[in-house]
Amino acid sequence: MFQAKRLVLAHFWVAFIAFLGALVLGAWQMYVRSPLSTWVNNPEHYYRSVTAHGTVMAYVLPTLIAMGFGYAITELALKRPLLGVKWAWGGFWLVIAGTAIAAVTMGMGKASVLYTFYPPMIASPFYYLGVVLVVVGSWVWVALMAINLRAWKKENPGASVPLAMFGNVAGAYLWAWTSVGAAVEVLVLILPASLGLTDTINAALARVLFSWTLHAIVYFWLMPTYIVFYTIVPRAIGGRLYSDTMGRVAFVLFLVFSMPIGIHHLFADPQVGAGFKFVHAAMTAMVSVPTLLTVFTIVASVEIAAKLRGGKGLFGWVKALPWDNPMMLAVTFSFIMLGFGGAGGIINMSYQLNETIHNTQWVTGHFHLIFAGAIVLMYFMLAYELWPQLTGCAPLSTGLIRVQVWLWFVGMMVLTMPWHLVGLLGAPRRMAYYDYTHPDLHSQAWTVTASAIGGFVLLASGILLVYILATARRRDGATVEPFTFSRAAHPGGHTPVALNGFGLWVAMMVGLTLVNYGYPIAQLASLAEAYVPVIPIGSR
Amino acid sequence: MPEAGMYSWSNLWFRWSVVSLVVLILLAMLVGFVVLPSVHGDFSAQGLWASICRAAGVPSTWVDGPPTAERAPQATNVVLDRSMARDGTSDAVGRGATLALNCTMCHGAQGISGSDAPNLSGQYPEVVMKQLHDYKARKRDSPIMLALAKNLSERDIDDLAAYYAYLPKARTASTTYDESLPALVRVGAPLRNIAPCISCHGGVDQKLGAPWIEGMPRGYLVAQLQAFRAGTRRNDSEVQMRNVARSMTNAEIEEVSSFYARKASAGGER
Repeated sequence: MFQAKRLVLAHFWVAFIAFLGALVLGAWQMYVRSPLSTWVNNPEHYYRSVTAHGTVMAYVLPTLIAMGFGYAITELALKRPLLGVKWAWGGFWLVIAGTAIAAVTMGMGKASVLYTFYPPMIASPFYYLGVVLVVVGSWVWVALMAINLRAWKKENPGASVPLAMFGNVAGAYLWAWTSVGAAVEVLVLILPASLGLTDTINAALARVLFSWTLHAIVYFWLMPTYIVFYTIVPRAIGGRLYSDTMGRVAFVLFLVFSMPIGIHHLFADPQVGAGFKFVHAAMTAMVSVPTLLTVFTIVASVEIAAKLRGGKGLFGWVKALPWDNPMMLAVTFSFIMLGFGGAGGIINMSYQLNETIHNTQWVTGHFHLIFAGAIVLMYFMLAYELWPQLTGCAPLSTGLIRVQVWLWFVGMMVLTMPWHLVGLLGAPRRMAYYDYTHPDLHSQAWTVTASAIGGFVLLASGILLVYILATARRRDGATVEPFTFSRAAHPGGHTPVALNGFGLWVAMMVGLTLVNYGYPIAQLASLAEAYVPVIPIGSR
Repeated sequence: MPEAGMYSWSNLWFRWSVVSLVVLILLAMLVGFVVLPSVHGDFSAQGLWASICRAAGVPSTWVDGPPTAERAPQATNVVLDRSMARDGTSDAVGRGATLALNCTMCHGAQGISGSDAPNLSGQYPEVVMKQLHDYKARKRDSPIMLALAKNLSERDIDDLAAYYAYLPKARTASTTYDESLPALVRVGAPLRNIAPCISCHGGVDQKLGAPWIEGMPRGYLVAQLQAFRAGTRRNDSEVQMRNVARSMTNAEIEEVSSFYARKASAGGER
């Protein structure tokens, strides 16, 4: 690491501290809803907490991790100093300022709109300004990633871009295009209404624009995790990456297919045509392809590690794996949660099956399992991997990390499985209060208690994470081993020119978005009946 | 740096990617816009093009005859608009005060009723406007109010609303949200689809068009809830109050009404 140590460290610290705060809110939410506690009696306090929890977990944490990890990758993989460090700090401070403005507004109860931008519910303009600043800060990162890659390519004409940087820039481009939907929604529709310039808002168009961002954003969250899968996991467990090309194919497939599929969030919305709903469902199914490719490739890479350690047989090699290695544990848990979450996701994206679980607790269970479980677990691991590089500390205690990883996995399963169950039974999501004294609901009360326990286990895991990172001590005199990424099983292989750049894939991403979103957006934008009165939250 | 061969048709990656994506789009569109609609009578009744348009979400009417927008509204003619909630000018308040001399017999000299007529003091302006328009248009029944409202002009109504909004609200000390409040006020009854009172009528949130009911006469609240329940009062534009009241028991109506009425006598600033 040359220049970016403090920069990356700042991103990670702010991310994890905000994360810990949001974790407290999440555990509190489950606790007050459960029979363990008396109800707070003010639904607004609950929704305020949900808004803050969601805003931090969905926007602040993953954005800061992706940015920080991106800067680290730029220096570690390209082996040259980061260009534009001052700009990067500028982007960081924009994110901080935005987070602070949004946090104060949420704390005052002027933005209890549940962190999704679904008009006609409208929050105070300061909340939206805060979120816009976070996004603008992240756009600085997108530009810097592109500039750094270009500079490296100029210096190394014809060389293949390191896989970590390839995935990183794919994530940056994905985010740039993904954020356009919500940015247009906020700037064109929501802010004028929030500022009181208009009394009505095109709610139908706003929902479609938000769906543009809402689904693809999860692949932006997922990119750092997939980069860890491909470029760190095989090395950390003593194996080789089975295929470098497969990694590139997965990254470009995410670029193309993660964008134009968001209408599967609007299956119950009457303003979108059934034809487009089907097309989006079909394209959503395509996103499982890069995930299945990744699962195959990483399992193959893990098998290489086991075989190198003397593992034998069709499945017998599993016993030879380094199970005391936290990364081995983390990738296993991550895949288990990805498996359950992914299977649930296929139900969500199926036009008909979705009817059974639409807007139920199942959905809450699904995205916690796959994002907070499979993805965020690997955020922890990448922080542990980078920490010695960033702070010059001694290797972190693998014992504590194993405990932390176990707690996160167990807590997440205990939290989310009951949600899936009650979702199937029809429990709606986003309700502040469930009357478990009612005979019809009484038999479900245990599920909230279980989820609350899961929430506290997760909180313990989060506290342990911050403890491990905060107590990492600098080692005097000793040098930190240089950071390395995974080596491919067949190093030096030829990288096809199409998988060494993004032009074709970005063009396909934009083109597919226009095909899948062009007509619904144009049609709703011109529909006078789609305008409804604004409902400002907390204005009286 | 432009990479030689990236966009060339002879580049297999380029060719296969573009061809596969185009084929995938065409297949998905064929299924979504042609095949699936063809098995639905609603979609396919008017031919292929109409079915494609319907699958694309082009707005259309499902029934013959005049579009619904041209039919007379059932519940109310008033469309609530945020502009109705703005404070009136001092001129409007003054004119409203003069007009309000007609109202004092039932609604009290300062808008606080001594009988079972509703308090108007501090009422939100859009509420007064909507109710007066509804009386005028016979969307809400009251022989007395019909007679009084029918001669009011648009401007008279706005001025009355401005005047009453200008007066102080009947209210008591701030509510603490604890178990002493009736359950319907605090949390509603989710399984009966009853939202908590405080999420629209002030406390947690105040929705446009929902009246200020703290300190209202108990008899008035009971009568209105019963009228909503029986369907004799039906000027709630989204059927929201009829849906709430429909499954309320007599005891619940009494409890909620007593709660909101009791607040005034609990020693508020009148």
